[in-house]
Amino acid sequence: MFGARRSAALAAAAAVVLAVAACGSGGSGGGSGSGPTLVIDSTFDLKTVDPGREYELTGQMLTHGMYETLLTFAGDDLSTPAPGLASSYELSPDAKTLTLTLAQGRVFSDGSPVTADDVVFSLQRVIGMKGNPSFLLDGVTVAKRDDSTVVLTSAEPNAALPFILPNPALSVVNSKVVTANGGTTDDTDGAEAFLNSTSAGSGPYTLKSLDVASQAVLTKNPAYNGPAKPAYDNIVIRNVQAATQSLNVQKGDSQVALDLSGDQVSGLDQGKLTVTSGPSAYTIFLFLNQGADISTATSNPQYVSAVKKAIDYPGLLQVAGTGSVQPASMIPTMISGSLPAAEAPKQDAAGAAAALASSGVSGQPPKLAYPSDFTLLGLSFQTIAERLQSQLAAAGITVELAPAPVATELDNYRNGKEQMGLWYWGPDFPDPSNYLAFAPDGLIGKRANWPASAAPDIDRAAKAAAAAVDPAERASLYQEFQRSLNAGGPFIPLVQPATNIVTAKSVTGAAYNPIWTLDLGSVGVAAGGQ
Amino acid sequence: MVSSALARYLLRRLGVSALLIVGVTLVTFVLTNLVPGDPVAANLGQRAAENPATVAAYRAHYGLDRPLPVQYVTYLGNLLQGDLGESQQTHRPVLTDLQSAVPATLEIAIGAIVLSVLIGVGFGVVAAVRRGRLADSVLRLVSLVGISVPTFWLALVAFYVFSFQLDLAPGSGRLAPATTPPPHVTGLYTVDSLLAGEWETFGDALAHLMLPTLVLTLYTVGLLTRFTRSAVLEVLEQDYVRSARAKGLPGRTVLVRYVLRAAMVPILTVVGLAFGALLSGTVLVEEIFAWPGLGSYAYQAASHLDLPAVMGVGLLVGVIYLVINLVVDLLYGVIDPRVRIS
Repeated sequence: MFGARRSAALAAAAAVVLAVAACGSGGSGGGSGSGPTLVIDSTFDLKTVDPGREYELTGQMLTHGMYETLLTFAGDDLSTPAPGLASSYELSPDAKTLTLTLAQGRVFSDGSPVTADDVVFSLQRVIGMKGNPSFLLDGVTVAKRDDSTVVLTSAEPNAALPFILPNPALSVVNSKVVTANGGTTDDTDGAEAFLNSTSAGSGPYTLKSLDVASQAVLTKNPAYNGPAKPAYDNIVIRNVQAATQSLNVQKGDSQVALDLSGDQVSGLDQGKLTVTSGPSAYTIFLFLNQGADISTATSNPQYVSAVKKAIDYPGLLQVAGTGSVQPASMIPTMISGSLPAAEAPKQDAAGAAAALASSGVSGQPPKLAYPSDFTLLGLSFQTIAERLQSQLAAAGITVELAPAPVATELDNYRNGKEQMGLWYWGPDFPDPSNYLAFAPDGLIGKRANWPASAAPDIDRAAKAAAAAVDPAERASLYQEFQRSLNAGGPFIPLVQPATNIVTAKSVTGAAYNPIWTLDLGSVGVAAGGQ
Repeated sequence: MVSSALARYLLRRLGVSALLIVGVTLVTFVLTNLVPGDPVAANLGQRAAENPATVAAYRAHYGLDRPLPVQYVTYLGNLLQGDLGESQQTHRPVLTDLQSAVPATLEIAIGAIVLSVLIGVGFGVVAAVRRGRLADSVLRLVSLVGISVPTFWLALVAFYVFSFQLDLAPGSGRLAPATTPPPHVTGLYTVDSLLAGEWETFGDALAHLMLPTLVLTLYTVGLLTRFTRSAVLEVLEQDYVRSARAKGLPGRTVLVRYVLRAAMVPILTVVGLAFGALLSGTVLVEEIFAWPGLGSYAYQAASHLDLPAVMGVGLLVGVIYLVINLVVDLLYGVIDPRVRIS
């Protein structure tokens, strides 16, 4: 009776599905532009591309493609600041005065020249707006000496300043354009909305469109006359989850995938894709709170020593995947002041047992806190915490896992309430002074409730390193500081995870940089590519 | 008179809705502020969060330096002027963010609900009428699978199979990277591209819609099939249906005029709820397909403790359900004269 009805319904359903599917296959390849377009897939942490306000990884990459800084780094070499908008610099012997000579003839995207006034305005704006990156120039004043010279004066010796200036947050903006659109050098600045729709820089690309949630499109800057070689007419940077990135880049929908983990990379066809792997500049570390009111166990020096000796460091590298390395100190391998691999902490089961016995710790196991919903370069903190727990358990040390979403756990971490914490540190700039945060009373030292009075020797080592000016002397004093930290500090460096940049064979010049990830201006097209 | 009764009814419903919306704002406000964690820590960088001047400027900018009741009253005051506050994550007005996120989600949700109603109700009716026979068993199995398969898993598999392996569908996003979005009118790319006469863009937008829509459809099809089947079965057993049949009315007439009409009231309720769920619950599907919709926005907002954005989404979802309920209630009257307002 209802047979005909059923067939009709099924047929109608099938027809709808097929009709939609047919439309799909027709449109999938369409829409290629006239010149080469580069499509980059990345997981966004984007808020803004106003250089003075951005301080997130995606924002750093985008602003670095559209603006220039006084100094920069060439490729992945972080050891020497290279000329940018300044052709040369000179640091005074007391490291308080940095004199920069501007390159001649450089222009903004509207054709107007880059002047010393633009430099002064840009840096004063960053300081005055009190945004995320303002701390980079804490205690620094900026002044113009003449039309081609700018002087940065620091209240304290600041040998790191040449390493700080390449940060894209310190980009030079077109002051006339920005001022005309609400820009000021104090906290009344209102140019962010404008700079999120139009760029005002001298970099190889300019902003075509921006949706902070989904994608940014850059287009070649026709007025650009700097040293980079912008190769693409347009660069599309899309917000895509890592699992989807892997499929997109294999299929050719995108040419670059930035967030694939070691596991995801190992399954790729390396005949069709290029994988550039290497250790990142992030240090994943464990800390034990030194406040006796927070935990009697973790504040016990013998217990800290037992934990350090109980960890199977190579075992953690297996979890972290190909390309990851064990840092010998909190300072990662590529930054001056780091220790050679031979000095890295090692597992010592007998030593751990002895230290644990002499610590006399018993009772309630300490809580190991970590951000459960956070992955760093494809590496989940949940996985590392679980592995740590089982490694410690094998040595007779019981810890209780205490995961929480990063947004809520950050508070406990920053307020110094975690008994044991698993976190990471990425350098704000590739200079060892960045790691004074781990000194007693430093930024992270305080989170471990570790005052200078608790470790006067380490405090002295840190202060000596901070005061040094000569590069060779600095490197050696920072190494001493790291050695003392390894021996007596509450921090245990665990893993430097790998970064993997996966590119189509048509793409060249995709080197990883820890500050701006990828230098868009130097990403090129292979001969015969695209 | 019917029209004045309807007007009175509508006025009363709108009044109640307004009160409910205030309730929704209060609940979302209290809940978002109960969440442990400080938005300043979640949104400012490590170094900036240590700088008292930066923190003070941030708190003042977002009004976080004022007592909670004052913040709430300010929020309500601004709300009356159509101002939902500024997102701490995107630094844009929440209203602007929602205006770009909602059409993206609407586009897949509308497609999914239309397909689901066509297929799910059809399947349900067939299953009920062929109760206990092969077709019934097959359709019940299909609906069980539809309901049981986790949507995010299905999204991943569909993406892998249809886009990556078979190349029947394009990759992630709403448009191919090289395609420029059509001029903004409704925010629905398919509609806007048609209005602008951009056929290529229309095809591209439709192609990108296909997979996420079908993935979402499978779940609601399962739901509607099961629900329609039981609703139709219940009506089929009513005395008046049996009498109609006994009087010799053709089977098809009985089914359409009596059974479907009666079963439509409960089915409509489920359709309404399913549509609401589609609009507010597509988080994982949107994440997988890199679809910049409401689900992605809500997820990002929550993970950054972006309170104005969380409140904006909460309010919007509340309003969506209120509107859906009102529409469903009004449609009852159209379908079934017994519940007509008079």
